[in-house]
Amino acid sequence: MSWLLKLSLVGVVILAVLMAYLDAKVRDKFEGKRWALPAKVFARPLEMYPGLALKPQHLQQELEQIGYQRVPNVRTPGQYMIDGNEMDIYRRYFSLFDGAERAARIHIRFSGNSIDGLWLDGEPVDIARLEPLLIGGIYPKHNEDRQLIQLSDAPDLLVQTLVAVEDRDFYQHVGISPKGIARAMAVNVQAGGLVQGGSTLTQQLVKNFFLTRERSLQRKITEALMSLLVELHYDKNEILEAYLNEVYLGQSGRRAVHGFGLGAQFYFGKHISQLSAPEIAILVGMVKGPSLYNPKRKAKNALARRNLVLGIMLEQGLISRYQHMMWSKRGLQVVQYSQYQSVEYPAFLDLVRRQLRSDYEDQDLTSEGLRIYTSLNPVIQRSAEQAVSKRLTQIESGYGLAKKSLQGAMVVVSHESGEVEALVGDRNPRYFGFNRALDARRSIGSLAKPAVYLTALRSQRFHLISPLDDGPIKVAGGNGQVWQPKNYDKKSHGVQPLYLAMAKSLNQATARLGLTVGLNNVVQTFKDLGVQRNLPAYPSIVLGAFEMTPFNVAQMYQTIATSGFQTPLKAIRGVTTAEGELLSRYGYAVKKTIKTEPIYLLQKIMQKVVELGTARHLNSQFDATLNLAGKTGTSDSQRDSWFAGFSGDKLAVVWVGRDNNKSMPITGASGALRIWAQTFKDLPLKPLYPLSTPNIEEHWVSVRHNALSAEGCAGVEKLPFIKGQLPTQSRRCAAADTAPDELKSWWNRVFSQ
Amino acid sequence: MKKRVIIIAALSGLLLLNACAPASFQREVLRSKSTLALLPSWYHEEVGYQLAGGNHYPGNQALANLLRQADGAFMQADLARCQILLERAQRIASRDASVYVRLSYVYWVLHKTAQAEQMALRALALVAADAQAKLEVARLLAAIEAGHY
Repeated sequence: MSWLLKLSLVGVVILAVLMAYLDAKVRDKFEGKRWALPAKVFARPLEMYPGLALKPQHLQQELEQIGYQRVPNVRTPGQYMIDGNEMDIYRRYFSLFDGAERAARIHIRFSGNSIDGLWLDGEPVDIARLEPLLIGGIYPKHNEDRQLIQLSDAPDLLVQTLVAVEDRDFYQHVGISPKGIARAMAVNVQAGGLVQGGSTLTQQLVKNFFLTRERSLQRKITEALMSLLVELHYDKNEILEAYLNEVYLGQSGRRAVHGFGLGAQFYFGKHISQLSAPEIAILVGMVKGPSLYNPKRKAKNALARRNLVLGIMLEQGLISRYQHMMWSKRGLQVVQYSQYQSVEYPAFLDLVRRQLRSDYEDQDLTSEGLRIYTSLNPVIQRSAEQAVSKRLTQIESGYGLAKKSLQGAMVVVSHESGEVEALVGDRNPRYFGFNRALDARRSIGSLAKPAVYLTALRSQRFHLISPLDDGPIKVAGGNGQVWQPKNYDKKSHGVQPLYLAMAKSLNQATARLGLTVGLNNVVQTFKDLGVQRNLPAYPSIVLGAFEMTPFNVAQMYQTIATSGFQTPLKAIRGVTTAEGELLSRYGYAVKKTIKTEPIYLLQKIMQKVVELGTARHLNSQFDATLNLAGKTGTSDSQRDSWFAGFSGDKLAVVWVGRDNNKSMPITGASGALRIWAQTFKDLPLKPLYPLSTPNIEEHWVSVRHNALSAEGCAGVEKLPFIKGQLPTQSRRCAAADTAPDELKSWWNRVFSQ
Repeated sequence: MKKRVIIIAALSGLLLLNACAPASFQREVLRSKSTLALLPSWYHEEVGYQLAGGNHYPGNQALANLLRQADGAFMQADLARCQILLERAQRIASRDASVYVRLSYVYWVLHKTAQAEQMALRALALVAADAQAKLEVARLLAAIEAGHY
């Protein structure tokens, strides 16, 4: 055998091995799972019913977000119209984890800022749901997103145009086309630039599926070999279907838009089967350069490219001359805002992902196309984001701080259900990075005080007017250190009734109270409120000298807001497969951890914090009948500004601080509280009525004397007490003591000083 | 021999008839049976009648609608759907005790007594001012705690 023959034999063997390897690779990809489909995450569906407090502009905002189009006359699903105080919505069909809702015409009549009447397809109904906003995805690597379609979903014109523009010999060649390459070269020379590519659709698919974008001879050869193998195993329709799903069609933030299915939704807000000829021309034109011909960003380029494709369509007899003339003059008509171009909510998505971690592998979330239904309320989320961003800027300019030197976080919860409705983890709400709502462990300062007062009220030794000494206090530590807390104003306030000590957030009185009731008991109360970390029984914990995340603070205050019934905070309601089969549901759970009576008294004190204490700024912003409750918090050296406040339905915790933990010139009241107020200023809230029991009774008392008194006596207040836990002394109402009706209450006099 | 053939033919005929019956009918019968078997005997008579259904639905029509659907799902032993509907109801009227009473029943039927008890406690806290309702929920709670189911 000559050396040439031997060499040829070796070459044949190497080629055979290579072909076998490539063949296995091709079959593996085509016969296995071709695409990783990201999980899609949805907000809550809006439940509408007569009596619901809903501002028409908030409904309109949500409709715009979910891609509904305002029209003069509603004709097809996805449209709405406004006529005075009435609104007509043609709802699209949509599915949820608990079933599907059919497409239907919803008619709504508003009375002011609430729904007065509701009709579905002309019939009055009690309740109707609106489709949820798509709020993001959990993407595989490269953040690829797509909507899988079958070839039969694609209009014939799309397939014909694609073949005409990208690969005219598609149905004749065997994966590579020398004729196609020659024609492309001729066209390109004639046009004086790159107008047509030489790669077949099969080659393009192979390149996208298996290879890199590297331009080398080796890659070209591999591409050609694999294209032959693909053509050998699969018919033209299978290849075309794979191509239609694989092709890259531009970027939306971090998300890569792949496939004509998602492309049709993203650029035109419609299903692929409903694409018009000019829209098909735009999408097919984008294949050559998705960034260069992106109709949303490079309109001029995209228009020229579309018209060139329309020209090819005319030349191939796919459209008439008249149609070509008409469509060439038309604008691009891409949708500016649609479900599929959704604004993402990084902090909330982060929470969703973490809460799913116990039940799902990361790979399930990024590849199975799961549908995750959450509790996010887009209207509240938007309001919270804007409030954090705007207020921080205002605080910085108001106090002469460097721009962007402050950071913020916010957690909004529907406290009865424990559902997280909004989450802000950065002043830039679109930032995918450090999530302060979940991960910023910061000193909670006075936000700890309710636990101390609750411990006192639970102990059966204290009531609302128990006198507390606010004199200076010193506690010696084991290692010779002395803990000597001071009030914010550096003054002592003598003897103060218990509720007033908390309403004014007095540190000295609180420290003394904490030590009196016992640090271990205070630690137990923190646990009962849902604080999971093991707190050391150090004196300083009573003033919040320990760290918590805003999310954990929200859990603690959730227990307070719901009268001692603790519900684990959750962001997810249900998860289904891509086909809608329910995989898991996250229902309501509750545990009573604290008796109702002491919590009732605590809520009353926290209402006084808003009415007369450190959070009284809310009085000027909200209707007094809402009876809001809350607590401000400022950590040592003003490094952290907190506010936790709640109404009858919503609880929100706000944190403001610096990432480098340096001090700020603001307190809880001048920082975080303002963000809370701004967030809820225009949102409907339910009034808070603390949950009473027959064990709660009201008595007229003389606060100053820590004694029971009678109505009409001077300086008396009617305050709630737990049965059997009353002031031990009684003060007789002497004639001279009788107060005229117009006399200011003792409480008001103190606070007006 | 002849008898055996007749019996086999009759049985086959019955099986065929059963198979031909509408699927929904078959399911309905089975579901009702199983649900009623799970219910405590006093369900319709004493505990929870006023709170948990009967003809007494709340004035809030959206809430009443969801509760009616939830009761229907419960009677069909579709407890998962029942829970979902009750949680929707809870979001609309989180202080309506009858929602929690129903949730308590559902958990009880599911043998999740700890959650059944907690739901009943939630209901109890909400009806504190209503002596009759309080008595009913307290009896439910006592029954759960005593394991009388």
